[in-house]
Amino acid sequence: MSGTGEKVSATTKTPADFLKSIRGRPVVVKLNSGVDYRGILACLDGYMNIAMEQTEEYVNGQLKNKYGDAFIRGNNVLYISTTKRTLGEGA
Amino acid sequence: MMEPLEMIKDSLNKQIYIKLRNDRELTGKLNAFDQHLNMILENAEETHTSVELDEETYEQVYKQNKRSMPMVFIRGDGVILLSSHTDH
Repeated sequence: MSGTGEKVSATTKTPADFLKSIRGRPVVVKLNSGVDYRGILACLDGYMNIAMEQTEEYVNGQLKNKYGDAFIRGNNVLYISTTKRTLGEGA
Repeated sequence: MMEPLEMIKDSLNKQIYIKLRNDRELTGKLNAFDQHLNMILENAEETHTSVELDEETYEQVYKQNKRSMPMVFIRGDGVILLSSHTDH
């Protein structure tokens, strides 16, 4: 099915392409522990280590902490999601 | 292209805040780190938060235990989040 694969890859982006494209965007990062981090994605690397700005920490949907700049170690990351919601609006 | 680990370089010799596994937090001066996020902290203070159930009212009580260490090595795999101390 290599023919199909090539056809798909010509139109579809890989996960890595997605990650590259969302730098500077507001995101929600959910960790394996269930904690959410909302903020602006500053940069990330192949390990999914993440640097975020204007970060808000939500535990059980409640705002617990704010960090100007935060680094998250990639192994804790469950997902990274872009969000249209403005910061401070709640989980 | 800037990488997340490069941003930690800016925190060298500054007060930082680290969130660790098992409800532990650390603050202290970052002396050194590597790609695993192994770190050396100077004048570190560790806070361990535990939840206890009040025997009479059955309310959840958060208990914080603190301890100070003049110099500590942190194994990187326990690290969840790192931020500058003033942000916290």
